[in-house]
Amino acid sequence: MPAEEEVRLTVPATPELLRLARVTASGVASRLGFSYDEVEDLRLAIDELCFAVTGGRSQDGYVLMRYVVRGDDETIEVHGMASFAAPGAEPLLNELSGAVLDALVDEHAVFTDDDHGSPSFRLVKRRSGSR
Amino acid sequence: MSFEPDQREELRRKFNQFADDRDPALRSQLVEGHLGLAEYLARRFSNRGEQLDDLVQVASLGLLKAVDRFEPSRGVEFSTYATHTIVGELKRHFRDKGWAVRAPRRMQELYLRLGKVVSSLSQELGRSPTIPELAADAQVSEEEVLEALEAGQAYRFSSLDAPGGGDDDDGDTLSAHLGGEDPRLLEAEHRAALSPLIERLAPRDQTILHLRFFVGMTQSEIADQLGISQMHVSRLLARSLNQLRAAASES
Repeated sequence: MPAEEEVRLTVPATPELLRLARVTASGVASRLGFSYDEVEDLRLAIDELCFAVTGGRSQDGYVLMRYVVRGDDETIEVHGMASFAAPGAEPLLNELSGAVLDALVDEHAVFTDDDHGSPSFRLVKRRSGSR
Repeated sequence: MSFEPDQREELRRKFNQFADDRDPALRSQLVEGHLGLAEYLARRFSNRGEQLDDLVQVASLGLLKAVDRFEPSRGVEFSTYATHTIVGELKRHFRDKGWAVRAPRRMQELYLRLGKVVSSLSQELGRSPTIPELAADAQVSEEEVLEALEAGQAYRFSSLDAPGGGDDDDGDTLSAHLGGEDPRLLEAEHRAALSPLIERLAPRDQTILHLRFFVGMTQSEIADQLGISQMHVSRLLARSLNQLRAAASES
């Protein structure tokens, strides 16, 4: 596969459709040879972060997902950016979510996107290869 | 369903009679005369991953209830009343079955089968298998494996409302597998801050959460230690996290 590939997905911000964000993550992770354990971790992390930006309920708007797959260092970087009709939503991440995400992925962050003022997240997960 | 005026009159007469004498033979006649309606309504629900035969059975049960409860004196057409009752029965069926609405039966079955494949392959390989390895062993495509894992997710979320989790088939053996208490669990610094939320979980769910997120064991390692399947660990973890998120956003 090329050194870097990018998949983009725009999902209505409803819990039923954000499952597609998980499915896509599993798909790209599988392409990099992630193990079942790692794919499950990634799915849990996407859940946690999608919850953080949507507040766990349907919002009028979309979440723009960007999956950057790097073959050379076997890494997936996932960006999620909310685009809601009502502005001013703050990303929500409690202490537990932080601890959970630390265990699931290599890097994670939630923030308010400077350009759009939207709740956003970013995560990075590397294939361990040893498991 | 439409009837000619004379059929309609005949039907009304039969229902009036049944209201009086509750004759079982007449009851069967009334039910059989409307099986077409039950089947028609069942068919409308058949794109949700359930076998049509099963749905016709559910719809027929609804029809039976409708025949028993119908009061001709109220002036409502039986077909209107029965449609309402049958659709109610079908909807309840889907609600009770939870995941059936979201996942086709084929995917539910594959998800359950994959649970066994994950266990046996993990043992054989000495590591967590990849998706292509799972697909090859289960003789399905990689896409099907991914779809089945997602179907499993729908299932575990739909079981969230079950009090105590409803997955307690192996709860009794947990302490036996754990042996002594792991001091790392108790010392986890997060425990104090998070305990109000975590304490709402079943003890086993708390243990799994700590092993995964505070001790840093992998899902396979936890499965080995607790003597349960890896997929079960995965389901319990996802369920716990979902409960915690819900609890945190409430508070």
